[in-house]
Amino acid sequence: MTLPMDTSQDCLRAWEAMPWVLQESATPEQSEWLKGHLAHCESCRAEFEQQNRLRLAMSLPTDVRVDAHAGLQHLMNRIDAAEHDASPYRVRAGNWLARGLVAAVLIQAIGIGVLGAKLYSYGEKPVYRTLSQQAAPVGPGAIRVVPDANMTLTDWNAVLHTLHLQVVAGPNDVGAYTVALVNNTANTQQAVQQLRATRGIRLAEPIASTP
Amino acid sequence: MNEADIDADTNDRMLLQRMAAGDRVALATLYHSYHGRLCRFLSRLTRRADVIEEVINDCLWIAWQKAGDFRGDSRVSTWIMGIAYRCGLKALRQRGDEPVEDDNIPEDRMPSIHPDEDRELRDWLSKGLDRLTADQRVVVELVYGVGHTLEDVATIMGCPVGTVKARLFHARVKLRNVLPALAGDSITLKEKVP
Repeated sequence: MTLPMDTSQDCLRAWEAMPWVLQESATPEQSEWLKGHLAHCESCRAEFEQQNRLRLAMSLPTDVRVDAHAGLQHLMNRIDAAEHDASPYRVRAGNWLARGLVAAVLIQAIGIGVLGAKLYSYGEKPVYRTLSQQAAPVGPGAIRVVPDANMTLTDWNAVLHTLHLQVVAGPNDVGAYTVALVNNTANTQQAVQQLRATRGIRLAEPIASTP
Repeated sequence: MNEADIDADTNDRMLLQRMAAGDRVALATLYHSYHGRLCRFLSRLTRRADVIEEVINDCLWIAWQKAGDFRGDSRVSTWIMGIAYRCGLKALRQRGDEPVEDDNIPEDRMPSIHPDEDRELRDWLSKGLDRLTADQRVVVELVYGVGHTLEDVATIMGCPVGTVKARLFHARVKLRNVLPALAGDSITLKEKVP
């Protein structure tokens, strides 16, 4: 096995520098130095020319034909297959998530149902009345009467009996009674007048006339 | 590394980032970008087109899976060529093959502007490469064909820089003694490792 040149230090240095100057990765100083050396060294010049030819030959496309498009398609198919193989695990994981959500919704629905049934069991009628709700209906000819607080029960009953009245509701929070004529044919207005004239009656008015 | 190399590496890094996000268009771009040089590089190890395609796909399959792990300690091309080198050796080992010699070059050549010149150059090169070991052919390919530095080649082949220097030196000496000289009288000296 032989080297092509003399073993002078400069020729060895030139030998070392040739590949890197050819691939343009050498420093500018290194390239300049080699250029100067080649100008007066025929042996290194011949070697450099051969090195350049070697680089050209090595940079030729390979003569082994490999179809890039077909190869890429094979690679994509391989990736598809790998993702397809991995997907059942994702689906299973997704199923667990979906099942968990459905279970949570069902538990919430059951809870709401139980609470609703419990509230319904407290009674259909609320213990309160809103301002927009109508008062309990009263019959025609009803009269609102507020007797004096000092009126005895005997006197109150006597008034009712004398005027043919009966209590249909009350007393409410302010002591008012709702009374109605026992005989519907009698005159309500006349009964109101008689009540107002009766001692111990503080207020008497027909309910129908209330705005 | 010159400006063109820096631009190419920047572009490759962007492709890797897109691949890490699952962008197949980026993978296709990288595939076509590296296909030629990988083919030529691997053809220094084997002449079988099916094995070369398989190794290229193994290499870019790994690049696709590991794109997000690339830390940028080297050029992207160095990283990919290193993967290709290891995949190539593994494929040959699995087949029980030795790296094939350059003795079965098909007659049909790649189209060229100067096909006669190319054929002459290929024949000239094949005579020289026949005399090299597989590791020497790989080093010559990486330095002269791809344009890697000694440090890059050491990274790709997973060996010390000194080993790469020795392989390159022996390869050059063999080539110089085998290939016909272009001009001048060759003065022969005994080979010695630098």
